[in-house]
Amino acid sequence: MRFSVYLPLLLSAAFAVLARPVTRQTPPATAAWLLSAGGVISAAASYVSLTILSITLVARVPVLALADHWSRAVLGRADPVAWPVALWALAALVATAAAVATTARRRLHELREAHGLARALAGRGTELTVLDSPLAEAYAVPGRPGRIVVSTALLQRLDGAQRRALLEHERSHLRHRHHLHHSAAAVCAAANPALRRLPQAVAEACERWADEDAAAACRRGTVAEALTRAATGPRASSPMLPSTVLPGVAEVASRVRALQRPAPPRRAWPVLVVLGLLLAMTLSVVEATADAHGMFEGAEAHRVVAAATSSAASGGVVPVDHTRATP
Amino acid sequence: MRKRRESGGLESEVLATLWASQDPLTAAQVADGLGTDLAYTTVQTILTRLHHKGAVRRELAGRAHAYTPVLDESGLAAGRMRAILDRENDSGAVLSRFIETLTPAEETTLAQLLGLGRPEGPAPSLEEPAS
Repeated sequence: MRFSVYLPLLLSAAFAVLARPVTRQTPPATAAWLLSAGGVISAAASYVSLTILSITLVARVPVLALADHWSRAVLGRADPVAWPVALWALAALVATAAAVATTARRRLHELREAHGLARALAGRGTELTVLDSPLAEAYAVPGRPGRIVVSTALLQRLDGAQRRALLEHERSHLRHRHHLHHSAAAVCAAANPALRRLPQAVAEACERWADEDAAAACRRGTVAEALTRAATGPRASSPMLPSTVLPGVAEVASRVRALQRPAPPRRAWPVLVVLGLLLAMTLSVVEATADAHGMFEGAEAHRVVAAATSSAASGGVVPVDHTRATP
Repeated sequence: MRKRRESGGLESEVLATLWASQDPLTAAQVADGLGTDLAYTTVQTILTRLHHKGAVRRELAGRAHAYTPVLDESGLAAGRMRAILDRENDSGAVLSRFIETLTPAEETTLAQLLGLGRPEGPAPSLEEPAS
């Protein structure tokens, strides 16, 4: 109990630190999946730790312990969790649960908003909707089907091949439902503050993913040129979709550099490192849960025995298993 | 990926090419502006489809049609209205107050639009909360 309960927390912190640098060594699609799925597992693992730590506090409350037939004496001996730690865990559990609820509600609302916008733009039956605007902007609106919105300023800044690169980039966002990766990362960050940089990492991976998809459909150089041209000159912050994040100059520069290199090769080791970490995390959760379960079982058994002994001493009837009595 | 270029995708590229130009373009000019070796007839087919959808206007320039893109004003306005409704907590209240500002002609239009598919039916009550 002493150590195993903290292991999921430690491993999820390790994931938070290692995930981005390690997944940078993989193609961006793999990176996005490892980051968002790993984030969900990390957040869940840290919740298990916090929950077990919190339960040790709850079990100390005499009324609850009696109601559940736990022996407080045995719990106190078996459970080395100091009550300030348990209290801290309970506070963290409550606070992050509230943050998760808020974030999930906000993401759902934004998703509904995007679907509404996609429906509003669907009337004409074209995938592309053009905004007449002097500011460059382009975004994908998830929906069934999703839509692409681009401003006239941006279209005029690009040549034919670059426009195709831009459209392929936005299509990749829609086709692979990148907004769901973004939402998962946002919820994970709310669940575990150690993962607060995850949404940024997932967003970067998704942009790179869309760049690579565009590069597969066009030429790498064309995508890089389109990106550079789109980033130079006045740009809009999207008035229609508040969640749209426009790339900063530094991010564009790093994406252009990545496009100037050949497509990232598939490597086994970064995937294995992350999967190994996640496997260890899952095992640590199993171990911590089993430990906690064993502790409460022990406490319960001790209490039943204690009750039986005390009733026997006071002349009461000790429950006897008559079915096994010898004739 | 390169092989699976759907016609819907080409449609967007043709539309984007028209929008990037200051002047109306003929099918041949669009095929040039696309930056790919796409058959003229394919471009012509896509332009005709876009014309049917109301996404482009066309006029005769000499012997060929010249195409101008048309802004999807109503779609964009509907998108903005949708966004406003989504941002309000009580969209029912917003709608009911909005209805009060409509002219009789607009009310008739709205009733007709909502009554589509159920002739002679009463206009849906806007007092009821949308569930």
